[in-house]
Amino acid sequence: MRVPPTLSTVLGNLFKKPATNPFPKSDPVPVPEGFRGKLVYDVEKCVGCRLCITVCPAGVIEYVPEVRKVTFWLGRCTFCAQCVDVCPVNALSMSDEFLLATADKYDDNLRWFHGEEIEEFKRKLEEKKKARESFKKEARKAVESEG
Amino acid sequence: MNVDEFAKVFGERFPDAEVRISENKQPHPRRRVWVTVGRDRFHEAMAFIKELDPTAQFSIIIARDAGETLEAKYHLELFWEDGESVSLIIGTSAPKENPTLPTVTDVFPSALAYEREVQEFLGIRYEGIPDPRRLFLPDDWPEGVYPLRLDDTGIKPEMVKNAGHPYSLKKEGER
Ligand code: SF4
Ligand code: SF4
Repeated sequence: MRVPPTLSTVLGNLFKKPATNPFPKSDPVPVPEGFRGKLVYDVEKCVGCRLCITVCPAGVIEYVPEVRKVTFWLGRCTFCAQCVDVCPVNALSMSDEFLLATADKYDDNLRWFHGEEIEEFKRKLEEKKKARESFKKEARKAVESEG
Repeated sequence: MNVDEFAKVFGERFPDAEVRISENKQPHPRRRVWVTVGRDRFHEAMAFIKELDPTAQFSIIIARDAGETLEAKYHLELFWEDGESVSLIIGTSAPKENPTLPTVTDVFPSALAYEREVQEFLGIRYEGIPDPRRLFLPDDWPEGVYPLRLDDTGIKPEMVKNAGHPYSLKKEGER
C-alpha cells in the first residue's frame, strides 16, 4: 500500500493544540478597527434631511414627518455604512456590536426611534412650542405696560 | 486587424450600417466599435464577422425596451489571438408590433442562452431559435408579461410585493 502524501502532516497536527475559539466559553474573536457593527442613531443630532433614506439600499429607514426625524428597522440593514458616510451632522455611526440574534424580527434591539419614543418626542415639541408662545405673550405684555 | 481596419472593412460591406468608434480614457484606455444594423441584414452581418474571425468570442446580448422599438446589442471580442483584441458592440432592433429578430445560434451557438433570456424578459421572438423554452422565469409565470418591458406588458403593480417597514405597517394598522 502507498503511504498517503498527507500522512506526515496529519501525524504532526495530532500533537498540536486545536486552533479554534470555543465561543461562548471564550470571548469572540476581537473585531478590527473600522468594523461595521450595529448602526447607532443619535436622534438629538439628526436634522431630518433624509439623505440617509436616499442612499440606503435596503429600505431600513423611514421618515417621520411630524417630528422631522427618521426611524430605523435594522432587521434589513446590510451594514454598508453608506448612511453613516452621507449624514451631514454625524448623527449615525457603526458600533462594534455584532451579536444581534433575536427571536422577533421587530425586536427593540433592531429598532431606533419608534413607537413611544416618537410620541414622547411629539409631546416635548408641543411643550416647547407652548413655552415659546407664552414667553412671547409675556414679552409683549411687558412692552405694552412700559409703553 | 485593429479597430480602424475592422470599421473600414465592415462599413464597406454594409454601407447602410451605422459604424462608430468610441474611446474611453480612464481608468483603462480602450477603443470600441459600435455598429447598428437593420434586422433584415443582421444575420448576414453576424455571419460576415464569423468569416472575418472564426475564433470570435461571443460574450452577451443586452436588450432593452427603447420605447417604440426593442433593441438588442451583441457584445463580441474579435482577433483576440493577435494581441490586443477588438471589442465590438453590434446592435439591431425590432418594432414592438412585430418584435422578431433572426436567431444567430447557427453562427454563434453560445448565443442560445442569451436569446432565450431576451425572449422571456422582453418578448422579442427569435425566428429559427432551436430551443425557445424559458430559461430563468418560473413555469407558472403568466403569458404575455415581460419583466423588463416599460409598457403595459411589463410587471403589473399587483405583482410587486414589499415586505414592509414596521413603522409604516403599524401606521396602516392604526388607521
Ligand atoms: S448601513 Fe447601509 S443598509 Fe444599514 S441603514 Fe445604513 S445605508 Fe441602510
Ligand atoms: S442623514 Fe443624518 S441628519 Fe439626515 S435624516 Fe439621516 S440621520 Fe438625520
